[in-house]
Amino acid sequence: MIQLLASKPFKILNIKIIVLILIISIFLTLPLWSSEYIISVFVLIFLYMSLGQMWNLLAGYTGLVSLGQQIFIGLGGYSLAVITVLYQLPIALGIIVGGVISILFALIISQPIFKMRGDYFTIGTWIVAECLAVFFSVWTYVRGGLGFNIIAAYKLSTTDIYYMAVAMGLGSIALVYFLLRTKIGLALMAMRDNESAAETLGVELYKTKLKVFLIAAFVTGLTGGLLYLSIAYIQPRASFSITWTVAMVFIVIIGGIGTIEGPILGAFFFILIKQYLYNYPGISMIILGTVAILTILIAPKGIVGTLQERYGFEILSIRRR
Amino acid sequence: MQIIQSLLNGILLGGLYAMVALGMSLVFGIMKLTNIAHGDLIIVATYICMVMAVQFSGNLLLAVLITICFMMLIGFLLQTFLINKVLDKGPEPPLLVTFGISITLSNILLLVFGADARYIPNTLKTINIVNTEHFSISAIYLLNFIVAIVVICTLHYIMKNTFFGRSIRATADDVTTAELMGVNTKRIYSYTMCLAMVISSIAGLLVGMNYTYYPSTGTEYLIYAFGVVVIGGMGNQMGILLGGIILGIAQLMGAYFFGTGYQLLAGYLVLLIILTIRPQGILSKATRR
Amino acid sequence: MTNDNVLLAIDKLNVHYRQFQALYDVSVKIKKGSIVSIIGSNGAGKSTLLNTILGINRPTSGSVTFMDQRIDGLPTNRIAAKGLSMSPEGSRVFPNLTVKENLLMGAYIPQARKNKEAMLEKAYDLFPVLKEKSKQEANYLSGGQRQMLAIARAIMAGPKILFCDEISLGLAPVVIKDIYKKIQEINDEGITIVLIEQDVKRSLKYSDYSYVILKGNIVMEGKSSELPVEEVTDAYFGENKYAIY
Repeated sequence: MIQLLASKPFKILNIKIIVLILIISIFLTLPLWSSEYIISVFVLIFLYMSLGQMWNLLAGYTGLVSLGQQIFIGLGGYSLAVITVLYQLPIALGIIVGGVISILFALIISQPIFKMRGDYFTIGTWIVAECLAVFFSVWTYVRGGLGFNIIAAYKLSTTDIYYMAVAMGLGSIALVYFLLRTKIGLALMAMRDNESAAETLGVELYKTKLKVFLIAAFVTGLTGGLLYLSIAYIQPRASFSITWTVAMVFIVIIGGIGTIEGPILGAFFFILIKQYLYNYPGISMIILGTVAILTILIAPKGIVGTLQERYGFEILSIRRR
Repeated sequence: MQIIQSLLNGILLGGLYAMVALGMSLVFGIMKLTNIAHGDLIIVATYICMVMAVQFSGNLLLAVLITICFMMLIGFLLQTFLINKVLDKGPEPPLLVTFGISITLSNILLLVFGADARYIPNTLKTINIVNTEHFSISAIYLLNFIVAIVVICTLHYIMKNTFFGRSIRATADDVTTAELMGVNTKRIYSYTMCLAMVISSIAGLLVGMNYTYYPSTGTEYLIYAFGVVVIGGMGNQMGILLGGIILGIAQLMGAYFFGTGYQLLAGYLVLLIILTIRPQGILSKATRR
Repeated sequence: MTNDNVLLAIDKLNVHYRQFQALYDVSVKIKKGSIVSIIGSNGAGKSTLLNTILGINRPTSGSVTFMDQRIDGLPTNRIAAKGLSMSPEGSRVFPNLTVKENLLMGAYIPQARKNKEAMLEKAYDLFPVLKEKSKQEANYLSGGQRQMLAIARAIMAGPKILFCDEISLGLAPVVIKDIYKKIQEINDEGITIVLIEQDVKRSLKYSDYSYVILKGNIVMEGKSSELPVEEVTDAYFGENKYAIY
């Protein structure tokens, strides 16, 4: 026993766990010792982290490059708005309904969308999102171009929203971490290496991809609801805008595609830049676009991926021991 | 009858959509690249045209010629220094690089020109070439169609009868063997992009003359271009024209039956349906190797 | 062998595919005007050698010298422009181009373009069936016709050396005989030929000088007329010669 405790891997594991607990404690107690502004920044960081984890799950692990995740953000946001404004029901219900509607919609479009391969799938998802943007602009039930003022959101304080965001962010990380350790995760690793080989071994490609797509839709829908809880005002064009997915893509590319730590780092980086350049919104996107392009050219595995390659540095390893 | 008018307009509008899609079809056919920045590049051309039109007091011909020069340069640089570097790195990097270019371009336009709607002033929108009691043909729609036919025929000629065109087609068939013939295939990719930019510049002018546009309009035209290319089948120039016509008709029929708010939606839905049931395109011929 | 007669010299070439070594210290000398054959079984390294000469692969070490100029490390299109041509394994005609367009692609390099009409006539003389089918798309040709097209295309630029990679693969004997006759005609015009073949007897019959390659090594070489078939076959199979017994 003593030998086990003194052994190197145990010590490293120990240190990792201690550091992790430390970091999590810092974030859990954040509202006690920092300003409202910083808390709101971290709301965004944790929510975008969740978005990034999901996009990474799709593109980095399953090979599904989706430019349509904004579908679920819009659906999540509108569910919240409709439930709380039109029906005066609690916020929690609005958020959950957002997730459920996202899964249902994902299920409906999965049939046609998954018939499209590669680039077709990518643009197909974008087209569906644009369809929704246009449709919600003319749909009178959701007040068309006027949108909603989500007044119920004002009842909550920034701190309340913060804890929900932290739960969402950490939850998404945990979800991806544990998902990859299940059978689905094993299937994904096999598919990533060689799809046809995986298929001959009994991996059901379609079902696996569908399950991951649905999970990502659900979480993105929930996150969308929370995002609009903090924004408190929803409009069709903005809520179904490609800009959401742009953020996800950048977070994952710059952080490191195909890694769990990547989107975490990417979210920090992204939100920090956006805050820094708050007064110059156009420039921030240009810079991010340029950085993303350069990253793909020079360090295609992103910050975390390159670190992993060069120094074998892994915090949250999903490899089975 | 109003429906005949809509149908006719849809056919002629198809010319515009064919022009929008032609550049993308060329690039996709040769490099197997889906250029997500394609729509934004067309809109960049539209903005440059607009500026040049002002500089040259409304001389649109001169404006588009200058625009072509700028766009060829931009396309050449993007292809040579960005896209060529990632073409052999797998399916995702080219997609993501062109996505990055798309975002960067549309935001540069936003920064420089602001978010207001713009248009390229021209008199053709108000002139009707044919004006009978049953239908009329507006000059601008006719121009769309004629330009599309001329450009498609010119492109076809270049592809069939010049060494340049043949080398592009040979590279599309077999890169290594083309190299064995002495073709510098990476440079051919850059030249193909230039050619696509020439076509897209003309498309940009037409877009600006037909409709108002914003820095974000690129997305809409990306979707049209992609849809038309899929409908028409890869590398098939006549198919592109047909694809454009189908899209044009779908849009205007949608507007006719459901109202103008549904014009965009009708077009998108038809594209999605075709993408689903026949992704290889309505007119494509499978190539034997 | 005097050095000024050597058109192409490959010296101690080593080629790797990732960790796998395909060629070990391969040295080959091709005399101007000759027909040289490189004999070996599947996977012995023949195509790798060819691809490396033509710049499709990069050598790990060693040199390729053509007309006293180093060409290793150059990109394929530059090497082609210097006068090296290949009929690739499997013909690899451009399927969506017509026969005539395929031939014209052979004359792509600037020096060759001015002669294109004359060279077309020559190609049609050599292989009359190509003239018949000149307007047909290449993917509708039969195997033998494609091979003829590939060879004709390779000489359109008036190259100094022509590499023929497995031109007999999948063809009927009578067609093969005809093609090899045309190869000799091409050689008579002064073009140096390098034949890559699996069939030992055929290689020895149609060439002046032969190299036998086994598992990436040259194990035998000599004047084709002086090499006994049985010894070549032994070298070709290596120690697997008795595997079937």
